[in-house]
Amino acid sequence: MSIEERWDEVEEGLRALRAHDASEARVERIRDRCLAALEARRPRLRPARAVGWRDWLEPAFALGLGALYLAEAVTRALAVYR
Amino acid sequence: MEREIELRLVARLKAGDAAAFEAIYEAYRPRLFSFLVRLSRRRDVAEDLLEEAWLRLVSRAETLADDARLGPWLFTVARNLYFSWRRSRALDPSRTTELDPAWPASGRGDSPFEAAAHGELERRVEAALARLSSSDRELLLLVGVEGLTPMEVAGICGLPAVTVRARLHRARERLAVEMGAGRAVPRARAG
Repeated sequence: MSIEERWDEVEEGLRALRAHDASEARVERIRDRCLAALEARRPRLRPARAVGWRDWLEPAFALGLGALYLAEAVTRALAVYR
Repeated sequence: MEREIELRLVARLKAGDAAAFEAIYEAYRPRLFSFLVRLSRRRDVAEDLLEEAWLRLVSRAETLADDARLGPWLFTVARNLYFSWRRSRALDPSRTTELDPAWPASGRGDSPFEAAAHGELERRVEAALARLSSSDRELLLLVGVEGLTPMEVAGICGLPAVTVRARLHRARERLAVEMGAGRAVPRARAG
C-alpha cells in the first residue's frame, strides 16, 4: 500500500469512528444536576426590584443639604464682595 | 453548529435559559463523551469527567465571552479535566491499559468498543488509537474525528499552532503504522 493510500485510510478511518454516549442514567443525572445549578443561579440573574420612595430619600436629602451649603457659601461670598 | 445559532445559545445560556442548555447538551454530549472515553480508555472515568465538564459549563456560564465558541471551550475543559485526573492518580499513560483490561493492549483481544465497531476499518482504527500515547490520541481525535482546526486545537492544548501541526503529522504516521500492524495480524490469530 502506498503512502498516499495509507494516509487516506487513516483519514477515512478517523472519520468512520462512531460517537459513543454515556449511559442513559448518567445522561439524565448530568442533565438534572446542570438544570438544578442553572435554576440556583436564577435569583442572581433576575432584575433588581423596583426602586421605592425610601431609595430616593437619602440622595434627595444629600442633594438638599448640598444646595443649602452652596447657597450659604454664595451668600457669604456676596457679603464679602459688598 | 452554525455560528449564529451558537452565539444565540451562548447568550441564552448566560441568561440562565434551560432550553439553551438542553440544546448544547444534546449537540455536544456524545462528542465530548467519545473524546473522553477514547482518551481515558475507561468508561467510568469518562462519565465522571463528562459530568464535571458540564457542571463547569453551567457554573461558569455567566463568565463566558459573548463570542465564545462552545466546542473548543468544552473540549478544553474536558481535556484539562482528563489531565488533572491523570496527574491526581499519578498515572503513567503506558499503565492505563494495565488498569483497564477492557481496552486492548497490542494483540490482547478486542475492547468493548472494538466489539461494537461494525466495520473492519473502524475496528482497526479503535485498536490502533488505543495503542498510541494520549498526546497523539488527543490531537487525532480533536482534528481527525471532531473536525477542529489545528489553530483551535492549539488553543485547547496550549501549544503553538506550528507545534500542533508537526505533532499531528507524526501522530498520523504512528496511527498509519499501527493500523498497518493491525492489518498484518489476522483477527482470528490476534485473539
